[in-house]
Order: sequence, then structure tokens, then C-alpha cells
Amino acid sequence: MSLIYLDNNATTQVAPEVFQAMVPFFHEDYFNPSSMYEPARRTAGALAEARRQAAAHFGLADAKQILFTSCASESNNMAILGTAKANPHRRHIVTTAVEHPAVLEVCKDLQRSGYRVTFLGVDRHGNLDLGEFVRALDADTLLVTIMHANNETGVIFPIPQLSRIVKETDPAIIFHTDATQSVGKVPIDLEREYPHVDLLSFSGHKLHAPKGVGVLYLKRGAACRPLLIGGHQEEGRRAGTENVPYIVGLAKALELSQAAFEDEQTRVRRLRDRLERELQARIPNVQVNGQGAPRLPNTLNISCHYVEGEGMLYQLSDFGICASSGSACTSGSLEPSHVLRALGVPFTAVHGSIRFSFSRYNTDADVDRVIEVFPQIVANLRRLSPYWDQEKDCPRPDADALIQPS
Amino acid sequence: MAWEYSEKTKQLFMDAVHGKPGTHLGEIENPDGFGEHGSLACGDAIRFTFQVQRHPTDPTQDVITAARYLTFGCTSAIAASEALCTLIERGRFTPIQALRVQNKDIVTFLGGLPEQKIHCSVMGAEALEAAVFNWAQRRGVDLDKLGIDLHADEKAEGRIVCKCFSLSEPYIRRKIKELNLRTIPEITNAIKAGGACMACHHVPGGLQDLLDEVWKDGGQQRQLPILTQVALPPRTAASEPPQGEPALSPYQFAKKLEKAIDEQVRPMLRADGGDVEIVDIKDCLVYCRLAGACQGCHNANQTLKLMIERVLKETVDERVRVIEV
Repeated sequence: MSLIYLDNNATTQVAPEVFQAMVPFFHEDYFNPSSMYEPARRTAGALAEARRQAAAHFGLADAKQILFTSCASESNNMAILGTAKANPHRRHIVTTAVEHPAVLEVCKDLQRSGYRVTFLGVDRHGNLDLGEFVRALDADTLLVTIMHANNETGVIFPIPQLSRIVKETDPAIIFHTDATQSVGKVPIDLEREYPHVDLLSFSGHKLHAPKGVGVLYLKRGAACRPLLIGGHQEEGRRAGTENVPYIVGLAKALELSQAAFEDEQTRVRRLRDRLERELQARIPNVQVNGQGAPRLPNTLNISCHYVEGEGMLYQLSDFGICASSGSACTSGSLEPSHVLRALGVPFTAVHGSIRFSFSRYNTDADVDRVIEVFPQIVANLRRLSPYWDQEKDCPRPDADALIQPS
Repeated sequence: MAWEYSEKTKQLFMDAVHGKPGTHLGEIENPDGFGEHGSLACGDAIRFTFQVQRHPTDPTQDVITAARYLTFGCTSAIAASEALCTLIERGRFTPIQALRVQNKDIVTFLGGLPEQKIHCSVMGAEALEAAVFNWAQRRGVDLDKLGIDLHADEKAEGRIVCKCFSLSEPYIRRKIKELNLRTIPEITNAIKAGGACMACHHVPGGLQDLLDEVWKDGGQQRQLPILTQVALPPRTAASEPPQGEPALSPYQFAKKLEKAIDEQVRPMLRADGGDVEIVDIKDCLVYCRLAGACQGCHNANQTLKLMIERVLKETVDERVRVIEV
């Protein structure tokens, strides 16, 4: 049985070209790029070239603005904690309720040490209220950190507009965006389209580079102090010997994604749209989360009412299909998805949510297979559900009342 | 972008490049004092030489009779070099007296310098110090004994903070104190440090740390909350309310604003099928949502925004700024 991998927002397979680009730096060119001898200068050259490539991907002429880190979580931690540290006279942060934990929990931790944090809510489509956003900015605001695309729903926030409003209000407020889910899926020209963004984070493993490498874009002069100190690497802004093979791999992956943008916007989008359409047509009582907002072309988050996500994933896995769920049972923390809760998705539908996320390696055959098996998987679970009327094959009239958490 | 130079600066520059008599371009052969500052890599450099009338018995009584420069740099760097030489020759100073010529004197002589060009005057003063140090060595004058510290060792010994311009910690620290620099932009304007890649601004031991250490808490002038500053800049004479008229309360301000929008802005927009909604008002920042006519067209909205802003500035308060939401 071949694997159908539809969990590309969790991680992606390393592209063969990326792997090939990395190999020499494990055994032939393994040198420390800080060393003086000639072979190490070659390694340093490869590192510089990777940095230049990464900068070029974002339309940046000055490559020093690209910092290589170990992951997006590190980049997010540095962006938030480093900005707070560099601007000690301000004590207020604006973020959203639907951020990834690598932003949300860092903000909550600052809250514990006395910072004020505004968590902006979203409407049922996943959109921010711009009026509420404007109201949140005040004279004490040091940082606005808002994700570009949501990992669970794929909803895209209007970062160019939000960052412009922030800078027109007060140029001293730092604007950070966690673009982990959007980099490699949609083009981002930082100099032209996102001139008001100071900091941007992402990781390699969401775009067919390996796990263990990330980037923080740090605009020239942006007030942000380093998190890892004790080394001259990255101009003293991120200590630690550079992970050269992974950095080279990340640069290659960015190059490949650039070439695949069109495929992502056309073929991949059609795959997602077809799956969405067919599942909605074939399964009663489902809702597509984030459907009414601008979304990534690769993400489908669908809630099947009155069933539980883990049961669906388990059966899918039997068919060799990999996806994920916002259900509490699958989260490790026994908390249902904070993102779907923020969208006001009913409790039952949060637990019954499932996320299919595509990459350029997916095919029509993958979609056919899911369409073939998934409706039955849901039906199987509904047959067991106490909230489902087995005879009429619809929800029991009192289902929603039964389900309300006490 | 054209720098705004004073007439004096432009004149000195033109005189120098045309080799007008009385200018100080050149290098004195076998000089009594020789000093350099800057480097090609930094974008500007000066070589400064002077000649003295030697005192027969006491070298500290030597008098500078001629000063010359060779400068690689911009208009203001060359004008500042001219100013330095003129000031020194005119004063008939001993080399030690010449040290009193500081960058502010050069700026004054030039009739002011744009902020971004202050470093040109600092460069001249640094070259002078180096030349006096050189003179002292040649003439066997012990500056230490005279209580004069020319910091000649700080470059060799200090940790390099700004790699782009190769500036050391002791040097930057001294300049922060001497020139009363309080912010990173002020440092960059005065001595260029942190002006290129900017990586040294916020790293440990970087420019912000040096500022914090030099000024401790008392003298610190960190960036204050700007929102209030931007939103409520001081009134200019033109916007000063007539004597005795009380300032508007926020409620009255908002009402006046709405009235202006209703009566003067909306009719114009509606004629073209557009509209405007006030999303929020913070001090003098007016957040507007433009609807209808040109939705999604940022350039058209930019034009509308400026039009609305102009009306509100004229009828409500000249400090109003419109932000499109």
C-alpha cells in the first residue's frame, strides 16, 4: 500500500534536489566556515551563497538581513523576546488568538512577567477586525506579532496592510510575522510588497528542506536583541556554528519553491478545491473552516459534526492516508484546537475537524482515494455516535444541547 | 538625494576643487605634524599635515604656520578640511592650542552641516589630533606629562564594535561622551558607527549597550513612546488657537471631524460613487476606510487619503493625519 501524504502543514518530505545539494557538506566540505584555511573558505563561500539565495527569494538586495536559526520556533522566540529586550521602555504587545504556540506561549510568558498582551479575536471565517486591530495599538505598544497564514485553516492575514497601519501609527512599533506556513507556498517580496515588516520567521521543513533549520528576517536596524549569545556568527546576532548542510538545503528548497509557485497556485489549488467540493457534496453536516477568508491554496480544514477526529485519522491511516485533526485527543495536550475555538466553531465540530494539506508532490490519484474512502469513515463513526439518529441518518434534535460542555 | 549645504560649504568646496589661491589643498613635504583619519573602505579619508615655526628652546612654543589636507570624500568632507586648515592657520596656534579646534568649531565655520554629515567635521578633528600626536613624537614633547591624552592607543587596543567602519569600543565610548550622543542615529551621524550593516546596534556590547553604559539611567534618552509624540506634535504658530479659545475636548474634536467629513468630504466621494467610514480616532490620527469607487486600488486610495487629509487639516486641525484601513 502506497502512502498518501496529506499532512504537509505538519512537515514535508525533503526534495531529492535538496538532499543532493546537502550531501557534500557532510563529508567533503564539512569545515567550520569560520576557519581560515582554504577548504573552509569554500564552505564559507557556500554559506554566503545560500544566504544570498535566501535573500533573493524575498527580493532583498542586502543578504545580511537573513539570519539562519534552528527552527521557526527559535526565530519566533528571538523576534518576540529580543524585541521586548531591546525596547524596555514599552510594555505592550499585540498578537492574535490564533497564533502558533511558538508565538502565543512566548507572549503569555511575557504576560506573566508583567507585559500587557492584546490577543485579537477573529470572526467565524477567521478574519481579523481591523477596527479592533487599530484600537489595540497604543503609545506603550512595542511589538505587533501576527502570523501570515494559519497552520490549521490556511487563512491568510493581510500583512502588508496591517504592517502599514502599524508603521503609519508609530514607526517605533516593531512588526513581526510568523510566515512558517506561507513561505514557499506564496511569493513574498519583502522589499516591494512588505516594506513595513521588520521581522519574519519561518522554517525549512515546511517547504521540502529538512527539519532543524529556520530563518529570521531581521530588517536592517530593527531593534531586536539576540537570543543565543556567545559567538560571532551571524554578526553576533545568533551564536552557534552555522548548520551549513541544512542551510544550503534550505536555500535550494527556496529556489525550488520559487519555480513551483505557479503549480501551487493552479494544480495544487485545484486538488484542494476538488477534495473540498466532493467531501461537502458527499458528507452531510460538514463545514469548511476558513472558507470565507483568503486561504493558502494547499490547506483544507473540514469539520464533520458529531464525530471525533482521532477516530477518523485512525481509519484514514488504515488506508495509508496521513492527515491531522484539531481534536483534543490528537493534540497531546488534551485541549481542542484554540484556532477553531477562536473561529467560534462549535465544540463538536472542533473535535470532528480534520486537516488535509497538500504539497506539489500530491496527485489527482491521492484526491480520488480520499474521496473514495472518507465518506464511509465518517458514516462509520456516526453510526456509533450518541448524537446521531441512526434511523433517520441525521443528527438527533437534542444533539447540540447534549454536546455543550458543562 | 541632495544634501542641503550652506553657501559657505559649497563655496569652500568649489574653491578647493578649482585650486583657488588661498585654499589648503596639498601635502607639506617633511611636515612637522602628520595625521590621517578614515579609510578608503569607509568612504572618506583625510591626510592632514602642518608646518611649524620652531621655537629655539621650548618645542611646546612652536607655532603652526601652514596646514594642508588631502581628502577623499564628499563635498562636506572637503569643505570641512578647508575649514580645519583655515581655522588653524588663522589662529597662529601652538599645536597644543590647536587641539582646542573641535568639530563644533568646524560646523560653525561652515555655517552648519546636515545631520548625516556631522561625521565629516569629526573626521577633521580626529586627523588634527593624530597630527599633533605625531608632532609631539618628532619634537620630543611628552603630552602625558602635560596632561594631554590623545587616545592614540584606543584604536590598536579596543574591541571592534562597528566592523563596517572598523571603530573600536574605547573610541565610540569616548565620542559618545565628548559629543553628547544619546541615540544610535546620533552616533551614526557623528562618527558613522552602525551606519552600514547595522548589525552592531542591538547585539551584546553593541551601540545601544555602550549608550546605556555611558549614560547609565540618569542621562538616558531612550526612544520615548512615539505615538503620543507623532499624534500630538507641538502646535505651530499657524495652528495656535486664538487667545482665550479653549482647546477642543476629544468629543468635540471627533464631532468637528465628522462634521467636516459629512459636509466636505462625503459629497465629493459620493459624486464618484465612493464613501468613507471613520474606523477610529487616536489623538490626531484618523483611521478611515474608503469604500466604493476604487476599492482595492492602492494608488487611487492614496490620492483620496491625501485629499481627505488636506480637508481635515484645513478645517479641523493641521496636525491631523489620515491612515487608510
